[in-house]
Amino acid sequence: MPTPDKNLRPKDISKPADILSPIATLEKLPGVYGQEGMEPDFKEIKDSWKEKYCTSLDGIVGIDTFELPKTPEEQEALVKGFLSGLEKLFTDCNKGSLEPLQLTMEYCAKCNTCSEACHIFQSSGEQEIYRPIFRTDVLRRIYKKHFSSSGKLGAFVGADIDATWEAIARLGELSYRCNLCRRCAQVCPLGLDNGMVTREIRKIFSMEMGIAPVPIHSKGTMLQLKTGSSTGLSKPAFLDTLEFIEEDIEEKTGRKIKFPIDKQGADILLFHNAGEFIAWPDNPAAFAILFDEAGLDWTLSSEIIGYDSVNYGIWYDDVQAKRVALKQMEAAKELGVKRVVMGECGHAHKAMMLTADRMTTEEKVPVESWLPIMAELVREGRFSFDPSKNNFPVTLHDPCNIVRQMGIVTPQREILQAVAPMFREMAPCGVENYCCGGGSGFAIMNSCNFSDFRNKVSSRKKWEQILNSFAAELEDPSIIKYICAPCSNCKGTIRDMLEYYKATGKFNVQYSGLVELMVNALTSMDRPFFEFLPQE
Amino acid sequence: MPKEGGGRAEYGGSYMEEVEWYKKPRQISHVGELIDMMKEMLFIKKLFEHHRSLWWASYMFHMGIYVLIVFTLLLIATVIWRQDLLVMGTTLVGMAGFSLATAGCALLLVRRALDPTLRKYTTPQEYFNILLLLAVLLTGIVSWTMVSNPFYVAAAVLTANGSAIPVFVTVHLVLLGIMFIYIPISKMSHYVGKYFSFHKVLWDNDPNFMDNEVNKKMKKDAQTPPEHSWSAPHINLPKNGEE
Ligand code: SF4
Ligand code: SF4
Repeated sequence: MPTPDKNLRPKDISKPADILSPIATLEKLPGVYGQEGMEPDFKEIKDSWKEKYCTSLDGIVGIDTFELPKTPEEQEALVKGFLSGLEKLFTDCNKGSLEPLQLTMEYCAKCNTCSEACHIFQSSGEQEIYRPIFRTDVLRRIYKKHFSSSGKLGAFVGADIDATWEAIARLGELSYRCNLCRRCAQVCPLGLDNGMVTREIRKIFSMEMGIAPVPIHSKGTMLQLKTGSSTGLSKPAFLDTLEFIEEDIEEKTGRKIKFPIDKQGADILLFHNAGEFIAWPDNPAAFAILFDEAGLDWTLSSEIIGYDSVNYGIWYDDVQAKRVALKQMEAAKELGVKRVVMGECGHAHKAMMLTADRMTTEEKVPVESWLPIMAELVREGRFSFDPSKNNFPVTLHDPCNIVRQMGIVTPQREILQAVAPMFREMAPCGVENYCCGGGSGFAIMNSCNFSDFRNKVSSRKKWEQILNSFAAELEDPSIIKYICAPCSNCKGTIRDMLEYYKATGKFNVQYSGLVELMVNALTSMDRPFFEFLPQE
Repeated sequence: MPKEGGGRAEYGGSYMEEVEWYKKPRQISHVGELIDMMKEMLFIKKLFEHHRSLWWASYMFHMGIYVLIVFTLLLIATVIWRQDLLVMGTTLVGMAGFSLATAGCALLLVRRALDPTLRKYTTPQEYFNILLLLAVLLTGIVSWTMVSNPFYVAAAVLTANGSAIPVFVTVHLVLLGIMFIYIPISKMSHYVGKYFSFHKVLWDNDPNFMDNEVNKKMKKDAQTPPEHSWSAPHINLPKNGEE
């Protein structure tokens, strides 16, 4: 097995090598998963990938639109495009990010406190290229060399990386080895943010060079702006799906619930990640059951973009993020609703409540999270629960966007106390949680061998946390173990993780959101809501 | 977010935990913010919590610098009001400051040079920064213990009597001056950067409401459209991004 070079330095980013830092010794998984043969190996790197894409960083392909420049002219154009974008990062067209970017570029004390906090660096067996400051230092050294006045002093001030096409290609790939979870920023004694710098690198590639992974750009924001949803779900298909879910609710629960659609002036516009309608229809169904039971005045929107809350732009491209957010806000305004309530999607929470908040100076429809609303309903006794219906171990994943980045920590716990008697926290949890490994687009990036990187490296810490939470019951398949992940992206990541490690089949580890647990515990439900429970 | 009130700061919660937060007055704890700032300034809390082995050296050094600032102020006071007790106190403070700062600085240098990871990321300029600090501290120690006495020199400086200052002490003072000029252009000014990164970046979660401060600033910024623009093909698509 190839071994990564522990002595690798940022300067080596341009070093000639087939693979600069092959992934080798990953952190050992706990319990039964620590045994030989419990974890699939990385896929072989195909020659066709090597020829086409940049596999020379770690053998993984993240940017499936980035074809290697073949001729000297193409190589030169790549370098020129990158340098032009890098220069623009520090100009007025990047006003919103300029200050934190400059602070991180200038003041890093190289104290290395952030490395301990990064799940990717830790899980990878401390591979140098994944150290939070490695990426930033490469960018810093290129910037100094090409643009700063002190750069004339060369290596003395660390202005020693030339923008060669290979270094740039590797740096581009490296910008897709970070979940933008900002756990590193939380511990930095100087308040600096390497996750933000990673996003800035992605911005150069997308906004200046037009290079971004297919699932987040052409089949992500571009598709969403065109059809209304990044899933490609058009309005008629969306309406059909709702009908199908209504039938399903009736079949399962005997309740006739109609989704309110485009109800003018409703109190709440409930905004789901459209992936829920397709991959997890039980989730919008559970919301409808609960909102119906609580007698809320709510609606869904069928307007273009009004039924898909995702905004992949926040991971890689400010312009796309703004376009999507403004259209989403428009849809809410047109319906004349009093407030927008975000459903179980972490990045959509952040996009609508934080990022979009600073995008327009006009009057906006206020946006809030579903979590405090539901916790209040629970507190007020608006639901009657029989928690014993959820008589299985439950653990909670804290989505980074909702918890660390927005500080919504207690409402979900309050709800769990009411519906899940065997709830136990992961360690660490709350704002100190680890990312599920699917953050910043990884959950939907599956080209070439990227899913291997997610399942084996970026999700490894989360998998380890889950295994530790269920340590006592894991190996007994008669006991259901439930991972509550109130976020579509995290859910997608966990779904793939369980499949990859065959954990559902072998050990009965299940996953879903929080509303599903609530509905399953309702005393008014005759049958279990979860299909994995015996249906009598 | 230490400025969050209502007990939320303790677990990292925010005003977004409230139903209809936008209708409610924001609970802000300036005391909480101040306490957290003081903990960072006086204790380097984050380093203590997350990187204890480095904290010892860093803390000694930074504390030493604070004590030396107090020493300098006391020294000036002794020129104006020479009183035995004050002189003794100043001497003790100076001794403590020099020992802490010098030991901390030397430990930081050794750690940086010996730790393979830190070494990889440290530029020659960053070693130079530490060496400059060490040189100032060491020349200071030699000046005040072997060459002259600080009370005498302080008086000479304040009365602009340069000829009374020994050469070695002059070297120390020149190095000190160079350091003061150099700090703003080097990352040694991170104490200023740190204020901004915490206040303007990490802790900036104020919402944008019609005509509040955030909103006003945004409106003002919008009056000067950017001169530069991005070049990727999708950026300039008509119909706002639809192909
Ligand atoms: S913790 Fe902050 S200052 Fe220290 S190395 Fe990381 S980014 Fe730099
Ligand atoms: S943002 Fe998260 S994934 Fe990225 S470097 Fe920081 S801790 Fe690691």
